[in-house]
Parts: sequence; C-alpha cells; structure tokens
Amino acid sequence: MPLYKLSYFEERGLGEVSRQLFHLSGTPFWDNRIPFDHWPRIKEYTPFGQVPILCVDGEELPQSFAIARYLANQFGFAGKSAFESAWVDALADQHKDYLNEIKPFLMVANGFAEGDKEKMMNEMAKPSIRKYFTILEKQAKDNGSNGYFVGNSITWIDLVVSDHMGVIETLVPNAFDGFPLVEAVRQKITSEPKLKEWIEKRPET
Amino acid sequence: STMPAYKLTYFNGRLRAEVARQLLYLAGVPFEDVRVRRPDWPALKSKMPFGEMPVLEVDGKPLPQSFAINRYLAKEFGFTGKSPFEAAWVDAIADQFKDYNIETRRLFLVLLGMIQGDKEQLLKDVGIPARDKFFGILEKIAKENGSNGHFVGQSLTWADLLIADHVKTVNILLPGFLDGFPTVLDTVKKIESTPKLKEWIEKSPYSKF
Repeated sequence: MPLYKLSYFEERGLGEVSRQLFHLSGTPFWDNRIPFDHWPRIKEYTPFGQVPILCVDGEELPQSFAIARYLANQFGFAGKSAFESAWVDALADQHKDYLNEIKPFLMVANGFAEGDKEKMMNEMAKPSIRKYFTILEKQAKDNGSNGYFVGNSITWIDLVVSDHMGVIETLVPNAFDGFPLVEAVRQKITSEPKLKEWIEKRPET
Repeated sequence: STMPAYKLTYFNGRLRAEVARQLLYLAGVPFEDVRVRRPDWPALKSKMPFGEMPVLEVDGKPLPQSFAINRYLAKEFGFTGKSPFEAAWVDAIADQFKDYNIETRRLFLVLLGMIQGDKEQLLKDVGIPARDKFFGILEKIAKENGSNGHFVGQSLTWADLLIADHVKTVNILLPGFLDGFPTVLDTVKKIESTPKLKEWIEKSPYSKF
C-alpha cells in the first residue's frame, strides 16, 4: 500500500472530502494539519502555493478536486462506469461554480471581509443555494431517490455536498427547506458507519 | 461493438467547447458539432441539465460541464496521461487554470468587448498578478517535465489542449503578454504542431474566439 499524507489546514474546508475517503475506505494516512501561522513559511515549497496537497509515496499532487477524484478512483467512490464518473465530475464542477457565486457572502459571514451579512444572505446566498440545490434535488430524484446523487453507492460528490450542508446550515436558516431528497442523501451518507465514526471523533473545526 | 453517437452542443466559439471538439477530432471520431446562435439560446436553456452549455450527448444521454466532458472524452480516447497519478496532475492543472480564469474573467470579458470596464486597471490589478501566478506555475511545470512539449508526461493530454487554446486567445487579445514564459510558449507551439490538431485548427469552422 502506498504511503499517503494529506496536508491541509486545521479545518474541514477543501480537505474534508479527501479525509473522508481515507476513513470510508479504511486506508491509513497521515492527516497532516497545518496551523495557519506555519503556512507562510511553507507556502513557497508547495507545487501551487496552496493546500490541500496529497503526497503518495513522496510524490505531490495539488488541487482539492484532483486529489478527491484520484482517491475516489483508487478506493471505489467514483461511480461504477465512465459515464457515472463523468456525472460525479459534472456535479462537482457545478458545486465549484456555486461556491464561487456565494464566496463573497461566505467571506463576510466568516469574518474575512466587511459587508452586510443579512443583505448578502438574502440577495446572493439564498438565490444561489436555491438554484444549485434545485439541480441537486432533481439529480437525486432522477437517480431513483436512493440516497445517492449518482449510481447505487457512495461517490465523492455525496461527501462534498453533505459536508457543505453542515457549513451552510450554521449560516443560513432553513437553507434546505424544499430539498428533501438532498437531505435524504446527507442522512444516508452521514449514517454510513465508518463515516459516522469519523464525524463523531474528528477535531471540532 | 459499434461506436457511440456523439453530439456536442455549444455556441459558435472556442471558449468552453474547443477542447472537446479537438479530442473527438484527434481520436478520428465523427460527431455532431452543434453551434447554437445567441438568439436561439434562451429557448434551449431549460433543456440543458444545468441550464448551461457545452453539453455532450453520448447515444442521446446528456453530460454537462466542460471539464467533465473533456475528461470523459480524454479517458475514452487516451488523452489523460499514462497513469492515474498523471491523470490527476492533468486534472490539477485544469483546475488551477479554472481558478485563473475566474480571477481574470472580468478582464477577458472587457477585452472581448462583452462588458464595459477599465482595461488598464483590470490588467494591473487582476490580469498581471493572475498571469504571473498561473503561468509561473506552468513555466515551472513545463521545465520540470523536460520541456518536451507537454505539461504532463510524454504524450498529448487534455491539459495541453486547454492551455494551448487559451494561449491562442491571449496572443490575439494581448500580444506579448506571455513573453515572460518562454517554455510555456514553446510547449504550446509544439502542441499546436501535432499533425491532426494542426489540421483541425486550420479548417475548423469557429469564430475567432
């Protein structure tokens, strides 16, 4: 088995999906959490000046979704056919587009920028959430309302969305009203024993 | 088994569909190259899975999102590198390119005449820093890969096509902008001289961008 090291900050953020893939697959890895004040000193030594970074037997790989997809492919969480994998990718890219839309709101809500949080929530975040979660709700339905977004088993987009919902619900009240099938995916995913165990014991961030 | 029927739907432009078209052409695979005129788009929008284009149809089954499409076709036809780790590096470069695109979006929309804006200010505040960050990474990657005409591995990948297509646009809109990245420019020249790609670039029915 290769030696895996995942480097990211002391938070869930863009690193959590990859951590979850390790835990779900029962694959040992070094969960390397970098304190924020260490980051400026090591940034220039990283391939893209960013984290997360995955190290596989000493070889580095940057970019959170490239890492997640690589691990998902290795461990069997990328769909059961090429077309299914492509749909997981398409949803992940849609997720990225949506994150980019609400980024200004998240910056303000998390205290990294000045702004009218309430106004941004109502004018930016809520419409974007509605637009994206409408797509997810339809996807869950078209997939047979089986508790997964793609196919018949967990894929990494299930993990990405479930984790993100945990972030949004602390910032936007009733964010997921009207999206029961998406909520059902989250319930199914987070009750998966190995994931449930990780969620319960992981550091509070 | 018979080849699937491929149909790609996008505007009449390169932008987000050109890499997919190139992959199909390089693979020698026939495909329906549907180019939607702007006035016809609003009526079609709700028919697309995510309300956007491009959309690839494989035997009538739709797939949205340009990078998902590119990766799917690249995997089918052998343009994702020679190992899962190489394929992951292709993905990483593509996603870094996407980040750079997001950063420079306003600048390029102004340069393409699609919105109003202060070109000089955008260049100074956004374009140059984003360029230095992203193309600095590419320059290093191309050198570390052996200046062999590819950004990853020893053979053509969809990351090569993605970067080459964008550099073409930059060279039209901002001549000289990438002069500080000679290995990147040389890599793009080598990519564009791939025989079948050269053929596509010369004959394909696109508008300038």
